[in-house]
Amino acid sequence: MEILRAENLVKIYQDNGVPVHAVRGINLSIKKGDYIVIAGPSGSGKTTLLNLLGALDRPTNGKVYFQNEDITTKSKSELSKFRLNNLGFIFQAYNLIPVLTALENIEFSMMLKGIPEKEREEKALALMEELGIKELAHKRPNEMSGGQQQRVAVVRAIVNNPAIVLADEPTANLDSKTAQHLLELMQRMNKEKNITFVFSSHDKQVIEQAERLLILKDGMIVNEE
Amino acid sequence: MLFKLAWRNVWRNKRRSLIVIGSVIVGMIAVILSDGLSNGMLRQMLDNQISSNILHIQIHKKGFNDNKIIKNYIEDSDRVEAAVNNTRGIKAYTKRVITFGLLSSANSSAGVFIYGIQPETEKEVSVINSYIKEGNFLGTGKRDIAIGQKLAEKLDVGLGDKVVAMANTPSGSIGSDMFRVAGIFQTASSDYDKVIIYVPIETAQSMLELNDKSNEFAMMLNDYKNVASVKEELSAKLGSEYEVLSYQDLLPMLIFQMDLYRESMWILNLIIGLALIFGIINTMLMSVFERIQEIGVLMAAGMKSYQIYFMFIFEALIIGIIGTLLGIAAGLLVHLPLSFTGIDFSLFSEALESFGVGAVIYPVLSIENLISVLIIIPMIAVAGALYPAYKAVKLEPVYAINYV
Amino acid sequence: MNLLLKLAWRNIWRNKRRSIITLAAVSFAALLAIGMRGIQIGTYSLNYKTAIELFTSYVQIQKTGYRDNPSLNNSFVFDNDIKNILEEESYKFTPRIYADGLISYKDASLGAALFGIVPSTEKNVTTVTNKLSAGTFFDSDNSNQIVVGAKLLENLNAKIGDEVVILSQGFDGSLGNQKFTISGTVKMGMSEFDGMAVFIGLSSLQHLLGMDDRINAIAFDADGLESAEILKRDLMQKISDPELSMLLWEELLPELKQLIEFDNVSGIFFLGILIVIVAFGILNTVLMSVTERFKEFGVVLSIGMPQHNLVKLVYIETIMITIIGLILGNILGYAVNYYIVQNPIILGGDLSRIYEEYNFVPRLESSLNAHIFFNVSLSIVIISIIACFYPAYKVYKLEPLKGIRHT
Repeated sequence: MEILRAENLVKIYQDNGVPVHAVRGINLSIKKGDYIVIAGPSGSGKTTLLNLLGALDRPTNGKVYFQNEDITTKSKSELSKFRLNNLGFIFQAYNLIPVLTALENIEFSMMLKGIPEKEREEKALALMEELGIKELAHKRPNEMSGGQQQRVAVVRAIVNNPAIVLADEPTANLDSKTAQHLLELMQRMNKEKNITFVFSSHDKQVIEQAERLLILKDGMIVNEE
Repeated sequence: MLFKLAWRNVWRNKRRSLIVIGSVIVGMIAVILSDGLSNGMLRQMLDNQISSNILHIQIHKKGFNDNKIIKNYIEDSDRVEAAVNNTRGIKAYTKRVITFGLLSSANSSAGVFIYGIQPETEKEVSVINSYIKEGNFLGTGKRDIAIGQKLAEKLDVGLGDKVVAMANTPSGSIGSDMFRVAGIFQTASSDYDKVIIYVPIETAQSMLELNDKSNEFAMMLNDYKNVASVKEELSAKLGSEYEVLSYQDLLPMLIFQMDLYRESMWILNLIIGLALIFGIINTMLMSVFERIQEIGVLMAAGMKSYQIYFMFIFEALIIGIIGTLLGIAAGLLVHLPLSFTGIDFSLFSEALESFGVGAVIYPVLSIENLISVLIIIPMIAVAGALYPAYKAVKLEPVYAINYV
Repeated sequence: MNLLLKLAWRNIWRNKRRSIITLAAVSFAALLAIGMRGIQIGTYSLNYKTAIELFTSYVQIQKTGYRDNPSLNNSFVFDNDIKNILEEESYKFTPRIYADGLISYKDASLGAALFGIVPSTEKNVTTVTNKLSAGTFFDSDNSNQIVVGAKLLENLNAKIGDEVVILSQGFDGSLGNQKFTISGTVKMGMSEFDGMAVFIGLSSLQHLLGMDDRINAIAFDADGLESAEILKRDLMQKISDPELSMLLWEELLPELKQLIEFDNVSGIFFLGILIVIVAFGILNTVLMSVTERFKEFGVVLSIGMPQHNLVKLVYIETIMITIIGLILGNILGYAVNYYIVQNPIILGGDLSRIYEEYNFVPRLESSLNAHIFFNVSLSIVIISIIACFYPAYKVYKLEPLKGIRHT
């Protein structure tokens, strides 16, 4: 079942007055349960594509359909609601809220959805236990290692049962062992819970595990495996 | 070099610096406005008193100022007149007969200070004739009387109405005379309008059995700054039988009030300064903390601690000076038009008139206050930078360079 | 606790130093404002009370038109009808006459404000009879003794026991004069009174002025400024004579009232400026704390936090700092005001003479009136909300991507 479709996506942005063609005419269809890696050298447009798919950025041309609904014409606040209900994000620099504990960080996105406090806590703790990071619950980001933080970030991304999780270079700041650990976690989630993952990465480890691999060059898909 | 660095740093985060400068500007406008008003108010009280009645210097028989009884008249008018004529710097003078009496109309009566004046010379020294609202100031008529608006209301009289003045003569008997209201004046002081009346000096002299004597010689100088020297010269010429009093001697409370204000206005400036200092400390702290790495590099490159210290002090000083100068400019921009048009406080006219200010206040700036803020505010800025600059100097270079 | 509140609270303490300086600024502004307003309001009510209770009184009945034209013609007969009504209600009242005259002793004659009073009832209404500085107060209202202001006695060069002549124009327009003996002096601390006032028994003055039973005013006591207004309304109901007017203290003391209003307005202006300056400090702090968190804000926006919730967060943070600052400032302000209420500042030396010159009590008091604390706090909260507009707008306009990329 297709959940996300990009049609003829083009993104041109201005860099100090010079137009940069970051994405030039990409067509893509993502199905429920996909585990996709978008790879390519830096500057190839991976992150821009991911941002367009994640409704963080608007395309210069082309459309993005989520469950056959055009999301490129939605207003800012509709998009924000859309992301909250359908997407999960994992960032390169973990980006947990520094003043909140691991548990609270996870609860945060549930709070935005308006889930009652008690339910939030139970659900977050259950998920943390499932992924084996329950002991981190009351630690703040600066008391955790990078790998631990990123795992909390994964839980934060999936706790609302999103249709798609978008992960921008999630292993870039981690050593290979920790990265492997994290990737296994996400694969497990993909298999067990049928969560759709879309990665952007040039990390070999990530690419190796891809079920679908899209190679990007100069803003175009040059190869798909 | 340090100064250049500091200058560039000020403009690195324009928005932040401008907000601090903005707060200084608001403070300055407030200081200039409130100083202008207070000063203007005091000046108007003084100017009104001097120009309408007190004048620059008065000469009496010794003791008259403390005890204004008719018996204390000047016996040798010619001598005083000669002394005044022989003294340089006096623009004009006039003679006055002054005593306390009762003024009655058909309906009512009021206690008043009766001023017997020489209308022609009085006009040269005082501006009382310019306050005439109805009728004319004293003319040639022997029975003319000019009274204040408030007094006219109280006695329920208008132009041409009859009033009777009554007062003790030097011999202790009661002298009285009938007058017709020739003019009604309204000054900036309601007290004045209630208690002072003007009649021709000859009529007063005959009513009070004074012959050609008077109680007071009052004069204006060419330049009020010479009051002290002229006063001294006159006292030396006239000797101890007479008292020569300057306007400062005659209005001691007002002069004291002005001194007090001058001495205490820096407190107001300091309070404004204190309100500003919190903003400055915070801004400078942030300026230090967002440049930790840079400070580390500067230290590693061999910049001395005191140089870094002064770099931050200069930064604050620049902000303080720019803010103060712009603030003064903005304050003047507000102040100057108001100093011509005045600010209308009609809402409080009764209170202001009871002070002798008048309902319109013309702000007057004092140079002392401008100098005082020019010193205080930049100092405050420097004071606000002391702690942040200290923080910068205390950084360890290695830690600072690696700080992200 | 609400997660948003928790988040805001922890954010405040993330940069302790900055928050403490900001809340110190708020406390300082609150303390200064509360202290100044306390002294202003405390001193105002002291002066109102003193002026009222010294001699003016809370409420007066006068002949309609007397206030604009205070002549003897505008007097009324204090007849039994009125007296009975007033006595029935057991009001505290006293009749009076005001006139201008000349007081002469030997070769000195000075202007005098003649007050015809009944000492036995005046005592119930005002404190003037307690202000005796020397000698005694006459107790019969047809005595030939008078009490004069201390300064007046000095200016006349007279002593207690001396005989003076008082000259005044009577009710019918003719001049009358009469000899009186000075039995005492009063010192009221107001130049206007001490240099001019002459208190005479009501009947004696009526006789001198040929007024028969006529008087100028009936003065009433009340329990305070508020009950005075009630008293005025009651009197207007009970005595519905268009010839008579009931005047409240503020109508009797228009100059004092305006003077105080003027001072009040200038005080508020100054505090307004002070608060605006502090608002600039708040603006800068909030702006900086927001700007340095753009990246974090970008992340939560990506997650799907609605923009308005982020704006809410910025406001909650600012208001929290403001409120902590206000609590501190209010406590300190209360302490300062309490101290001054207990230990009023007595102005000495020349300063006290300036105050007396303007008929003010040379003493600064304070006030613990809840309005002061409430108004000051509310104005600071409002201004800090206004100061937040710009940073909040920046946050509202923040794009998630720009935030994430912000360094």
